[in-house]
Amino acid sequence: MRMLLVEDNEDLAETILDRLRAEGHSVDHERDGNEANELLRHFKFDIVLLDVNLPGRSGYEVLRSLRNRSDETPVIILTARSQIDDRVIGLDAGADDYMIKPVDFRELSARCRVLARRRAGAASNIFTAGALVFDRAAKQAKIDGRDAQLRAREIQLLEIMIDNMGRMLTKEDVADRLYSFEEAPSLNAVEQLVTRLRRKLEGTPLVIKTARGLGYIAYLAEDD
Amino acid sequence: MTGSGGHSLQRRLLVTMALGFVILLMLISALLWTYARASANRPHDLLLAGTALSILERISVGPDGATVDLPNSAMEILSLNPVDRVLYRVFVPGGRNLTGAADLPAPSDLAPSAEPVFFEDAYGGAQFRFVIQSRQLSTAEGRQWFAVQIGQTVELRNAEQLSFFATSLVGLAGLSLIGLGFVWVAIRTSLAPLRQVAADLAQREPADLGRVVGTPPREIKGLFDAINGFIERLGRNRALTETFIADVAHQTRTSLSAMQGHLSLAVDADDPAQMRSRLIKADRQATRTVRLTNQLLANAMVIHRSDRSNLEPVALRPLVRDILAEMLRDSRMRHISLSFLDGGIEAGQDMILGDAVSIREALRNLIENAVRHGPPDNTVTISLDATDTELVLKVEDAGPGIAEADLSRATQRFTSLSENSMGSGLGLSIVKAVTDGHGADLSLGRSSLGGLGVTLIFKRLLAVLFLVLCPVWSGTPAQADTLVIHSATDTPAMQPLIEAFESRMPEVDVEYVEFQTLDLYRAMLAEADTARPDVVISSAMDLQVDLVNRGLALRTQLSVQSAPPNWAVWRSELFGFTFEPAVVVYDTRAISKEELPVSHRELATFVRDNEERFRGRIGTYDIAQSGIGYLYATQDSLQGPQALRLFEVLGRADLKTYCCTSEMVEATARGELAFAFNAIGSYAAAQVASEPNLGLHFFDDYNLVMTRTAFIPKEARQAELGARFIEFLLSREGQRIIADKTPLLPLIRESEQQSLIGREIQARLGTFLPIRLTPGLLTYLDELKRNDFMSAWETSLRR
Repeated sequence: MRMLLVEDNEDLAETILDRLRAEGHSVDHERDGNEANELLRHFKFDIVLLDVNLPGRSGYEVLRSLRNRSDETPVIILTARSQIDDRVIGLDAGADDYMIKPVDFRELSARCRVLARRRAGAASNIFTAGALVFDRAAKQAKIDGRDAQLRAREIQLLEIMIDNMGRMLTKEDVADRLYSFEEAPSLNAVEQLVTRLRRKLEGTPLVIKTARGLGYIAYLAEDD
Repeated sequence: MTGSGGHSLQRRLLVTMALGFVILLMLISALLWTYARASANRPHDLLLAGTALSILERISVGPDGATVDLPNSAMEILSLNPVDRVLYRVFVPGGRNLTGAADLPAPSDLAPSAEPVFFEDAYGGAQFRFVIQSRQLSTAEGRQWFAVQIGQTVELRNAEQLSFFATSLVGLAGLSLIGLGFVWVAIRTSLAPLRQVAADLAQREPADLGRVVGTPPREIKGLFDAINGFIERLGRNRALTETFIADVAHQTRTSLSAMQGHLSLAVDADDPAQMRSRLIKADRQATRTVRLTNQLLANAMVIHRSDRSNLEPVALRPLVRDILAEMLRDSRMRHISLSFLDGGIEAGQDMILGDAVSIREALRNLIENAVRHGPPDNTVTISLDATDTELVLKVEDAGPGIAEADLSRATQRFTSLSENSMGSGLGLSIVKAVTDGHGADLSLGRSSLGGLGVTLIFKRLLAVLFLVLCPVWSGTPAQADTLVIHSATDTPAMQPLIEAFESRMPEVDVEYVEFQTLDLYRAMLAEADTARPDVVISSAMDLQVDLVNRGLALRTQLSVQSAPPNWAVWRSELFGFTFEPAVVVYDTRAISKEELPVSHRELATFVRDNEERFRGRIGTYDIAQSGIGYLYATQDSLQGPQALRLFEVLGRADLKTYCCTSEMVEATARGELAFAFNAIGSYAAAQVASEPNLGLHFFDDYNLVMTRTAFIPKEARQAELGARFIEFLLSREGQRIIADKTPLLPLIRESEQQSLIGREIQARLGTFLPIRLTPGLLTYLDELKRNDFMSAWETSLRR
């Protein structure tokens, strides 16, 4: 993946760069907010890791101008402040995730992978995870090359989970996206649908985790 | 002792004492009120009793049955009270009414008694104090009781009671204040030990945590001990903080040196495998140090935030959901089975006063604890339940839990109960700090899942409704400003006054209706609701006093400049505004100025001596027809026995009577009369001015003066406007108009009098005897009295 790290601390930047490059990503590094902003104007990245306290212009401003250009590049905010206010500003400004320093590299890699997957799933028609291949255009899922025999609703649900990978979806969120207003779905139906899809996806790395009372979150088991 | 917003002990003691004094004052007031009433009643009751007695003495039994000759002194006694209205009647108990108001209330169980009986009762919408006194007389039917009942409104008594009460109360209140002053001094003295403690504490170095020394009074020994106890705890706490800092330093340094050690060894290692194992250990140590630092910072932040009053209404359920959804993104949570049970709480039922950041930190620590100390596939259940007043947030897990014996110290800092789980021992103490900062309860126990169950109980915030009261504005409907005046005064005499008033208040129309005095009196008594006037004006002072005495008038506050003299005002309800002396009008051709007698007595002698000369040539009012004439005649009779003699002499000389002043003057001008007696001075003067043969003559002993009076009836529609009119009549401008443009004479004289009569009046000011506006005027309105007087008059005139 092509990544941009915007971080003014050289030592920290070096460790992150080494780590990500070791995983095979191509990572650019910027130290200054204004320069990062300029760079983002002209080049496309798969993921941007953005520090908040930057010389030139703050990470939030960089993010805001990025989103104002309707650029949907996934952004992870890195911050040393731990208070909620910063997080809210970050997420409201359009960040996809945030992490608090000191950052656990394994967790950073995992978050990056999830975001990359989410973006890849949405951007291209073919989503591949281990044995699972999902063709968005053909509305078809294959496991080990064989048709997984998913029904229309299950295909829809799979698409929703892939698009929102790593993100918590409440039952109501899922129902709203699955059914039209007239269909008046029962939340029970959503539950049964998730159970069916989960059974059919057994053996693939795609996991749909249920948190009772909260909702569903999808992730890829191979990431760990 | 006085802190901003805090209580002041001194103030509290003073307030308590003041309250005590107030209660005492109230008790005394109750007694005082009754006593003041009795005191106010006493002199007035004496007057009432005296009046009753004086009337009682005048009851006589003649051949035609019992009768009463109302003494003028009776009403004059009551007139000593300048305010109150008067009622009376003379009656046979259980029988007929001799005179006065027959419908006065009387106690049903009243037995006739020679002793005065006092009681209060309402009559005609006002409170009256009555006296009833009886007397036995021999009649044709044997001995019979006769009773006199006198009533007086209680306005002056009320006023005197209030004034007596207020004066006494002010004195008592003053005494109470002095008492409070002593209390204040006593309190200040008693509180001296407290100030001593305060001074001691204020001068202390922060490091000085020794006991406050001294021998406190018994009452504040508790406080003393508490302060010393607090200082001790503060000392322990400081020791604890010092330990904490030492612990933090120890933990951080140990952690860092371990990491540093592993890294040094790794640097020096020759064997790659050995180096790797060192690095793995260093990495693990780094993770532990990071967590320790994070928690120390979280701990500091939570404590810092709990110091500030930054609690605000927070909806707990969405907050918990958000925290959980966020935590689930963490890859370490993937195998943890996390549930949130919100017990079906509806939106709005989950409000607390809280700090979202702190609560997030607490919940995060609890869940991380569960993850850290439990198995990788731990089950964590978060539940939120609402009771009427509380919200119960519970975090339960299926981990190893905490042993019963350790529960109590689990929330203390740096008491990591497990040695091998990378616990810092700060997690639960952060939660504790958060619950303390929220005034919430924290309890640890065993969960139904087998592990630790942590319960946080927050106080629910109940919805408060604000009622917005919209003031209802209602405008008063606009009315046409028409001032209705009913008056027994010639329209031409009033016209200049009305015109001036109208030009002064352009938005006001004056409707002037002319009446005869008696007709006006009867119309006012008729209680016809139609065409109620706003001002009633009449020259019949006695009738006006009677109307006001019946409570028909409205109290009117006039501005100070327009206050008439005392004799021309009654009860702030009836106001005189002219000065009209009785006068002798004579024909200069029939009688010379020098011949004219200078006193009433001499007039009698003069007429008796010249009886034939004046036979049929003396005129006066027909008192049966004219109210003014009756008023002048009765007032003359009050001046002494010579009046009766005068009437007899005039009668022998064939006195002629007239309806009004103008006819008398005209008759004199025609030469029919030598002189006219008791003509109204003002009118007469106006006429005399155009008659060369007429003269005006005043006596040297006394000259009666009557005044035209005005009042505002209770039912007046434009009472305010009526008051303005009366004020205008009495104003300098009004009085000047009366002097210059009307035949009337002003009540309040300006410096120089232009008119002839004005100069006459000026020359003999001391002789003018104004008829006072008092209930005394009611005497001759009494039916029996009037009949007596009329028959005496008729007899004198030998008709």
